[in-house]
Amino acid sequence: MLFRFSSAILLAVAVSLIGIALEKESLKLKRLVSRQHYQLDVLVNTHAKMKLATQRAGSPRQVLNSIERGELDVESNQQPALSNRREMPLLQWHLTPQKKQAEK
Amino acid sequence: MNFVPSNLRNSGRTWCLVLIVVLAWLVISCRLVYLQYIGHRQFARVVARQQVYKEKIPARPGDILDRNGRLLATTIVSNSLYVVPQRLKNEQNVARICDILQLDQTDFLKGLAANRDKLFLWVKRRLSDQELAAIRVLDLSDDVWGFRQEYRRQYPQGALAAHALGLRDIDGKGQGGLEEAFDHLICGEDGYRFLIRDAHGRVIEVRNDSRVAARNGETLVVTLDSIIQLYTERQLQSIVEEWKPKSACAIVMDVKTCEVLAMASVPTFDLNHPAGINESAWKNTAIASIYEPGSTLKPFIVAAALEKGLIHTEEEFDCEQGEYRMGKRLLHDHHSYGILNVTDVLVKSSNIGMAKIGEKLTNPGLYEAVTAFGFGQKTGIQLPGELSGIVRPLKDWNIYSTGSIPMGQEIAVTPVQLITGHVALANQGKLLNPRLIRDQIDHNYFPRSEEEPAQVRPLVSTPIVSAAVADWLVQVPMVETVSRGTGKKAQLEEYVVFGKTGTAQKPDPKTGKYSSELHVSSFICGAPAHDPRVLVLVVVNEPSVGENHYGGTIAGPPAAEILKQTLMYQRVPFDHSSEAPLERTAQRQRNALR
Repeated sequence: MLFRFSSAILLAVAVSLIGIALEKESLKLKRLVSRQHYQLDVLVNTHAKMKLATQRAGSPRQVLNSIERGELDVESNQQPALSNRREMPLLQWHLTPQKKQAEK
Repeated sequence: MNFVPSNLRNSGRTWCLVLIVVLAWLVISCRLVYLQYIGHRQFARVVARQQVYKEKIPARPGDILDRNGRLLATTIVSNSLYVVPQRLKNEQNVARICDILQLDQTDFLKGLAANRDKLFLWVKRRLSDQELAAIRVLDLSDDVWGFRQEYRRQYPQGALAAHALGLRDIDGKGQGGLEEAFDHLICGEDGYRFLIRDAHGRVIEVRNDSRVAARNGETLVVTLDSIIQLYTERQLQSIVEEWKPKSACAIVMDVKTCEVLAMASVPTFDLNHPAGINESAWKNTAIASIYEPGSTLKPFIVAAALEKGLIHTEEEFDCEQGEYRMGKRLLHDHHSYGILNVTDVLVKSSNIGMAKIGEKLTNPGLYEAVTAFGFGQKTGIQLPGELSGIVRPLKDWNIYSTGSIPMGQEIAVTPVQLITGHVALANQGKLLNPRLIRDQIDHNYFPRSEEEPAQVRPLVSTPIVSAAVADWLVQVPMVETVSRGTGKKAQLEEYVVFGKTGTAQKPDPKTGKYSSELHVSSFICGAPAHDPRVLVLVVVNEPSVGENHYGGTIAGPPAAEILKQTLMYQRVPFDHSSEAPLERTAQRQRNALR
């Protein structure tokens, strides 16, 4: 009798403990998901800010004016000329070797 | 004496007790039934209202890119500062906050006093990073002051293409330009999620299972090219400095696709700092201003007459030595001309020659010509505020109209209508809808799936005149207009340019008659003449410096400069050389290496 009663109690306690453990794990995972949502938001915003900063730094207004004022030395692309139009002309400009050395 | 037996007395007490207990249980059960069954929904609602908070997840507005992927508009998260007026007891920080945020302290305190019983009041929305850092240093009380995150629109190119882009107001709603026209696509759709709060209102759980994610706004790829736009705006600025006009605008279009490569107006404004700008600067004069086109309309009339076979290319007209009477009206030319052929009528921009072509077309033919080229109706460019121009109903036309319409009077057009019509001539007579949207992609810059068709307008092509007529007009009279006519100042060394000048008198607001001082000077040009690639229109409204307000003098040189820079930027081979410019550069480099 005592054995049966003890077994029943133990079983109930074990089920409860397992339930609590599962609930804890579930909450932990929920927190993890929430944190990942938050981190994703932060990363998206950081990406947007960095993209904004790079686009500001390389905006045609800023770069063209600097080139015309002689503040930025550029040389044309040494690759053979292509007949098709260039899609990203600013990417084809780069600092001259003298300027690079001076910067070093 | 007690006549009731004790066992019965005890039994009565027992029954009484049982009754009380049963009644109590009945009351409790009824209450339980009421709470759990009858009033369940109401109480569940109350609990849900107290515990569950539906939080909006704002959609991130989409970016706007130029045709080469340069960022024209984007969105970042920024913090907005609020205060809880009810809890603000100590106002010692107010002065410092007002100082940091450049707010008027008196106004702010008035606002606080007026909302003293409220639990929320904005202090300043969308703080800059510097402002945020300075406020954080103050270490304000969390109970009284707080931040909320909001999206802030940023324009990394500054004032570039301000009118075409438009901006978003404090509530994130598109105002003007593409921001307004495509607000429904750029805005996206807000999502939401449920937060579980305790009795103190603190969040204890975020219910992600019932979360509805926000659908971020679409990214638009526009047809504008930042470099060409910059060239164009710089030329407009030089016009402002030299001629001090009331306003001016320029449009650059790709002839083959009718895509707008640049659209600029002055006065303009900086998209990142729109506060306090002049009201006139808001107007996109390229689409929202109308004017009499003057001589720039003449090629359309000649095209219609040629198309109908009413004149032929070698036909000659007597220009009456500069004076010609049409009914009661005496027409004049700027110079006295005798016999001129069709080419010279256009090259010398003879009003009398054009009036005689108008007589051949008659009013119905003239009406048909101007409406066929799209005047009097919106072009369908994807911008808000476009005007239709003015083409009066044919029944209102008279003998004056027969002389006036062919010289570009009695009709009002927008710059975008005019250049669209000229694109049709340069594009072998095919009239296209001008386009500002090149592509529509999702917020991650991935192409849209095929199940989601783009919502931008399709390209519509309608032949207006035959290719032979259109090509002849472009390659003969309009080329000669630049080589030996009124547009000589727009000649380029590198390319064979075709074009047409326009100098229209404006009505004097005082007298209602044409003024001899107020003009709209315009010039439209394109190149290369044998295979037009780009068309440029420059319109200068009321230049105020000097007395020579001819379109060829004021608008011609800047238009030609924009055209040259655009063609060279697009690597269009030079006309005046057998070698393409880049091939010549490569040859020079090879020679240098030897």
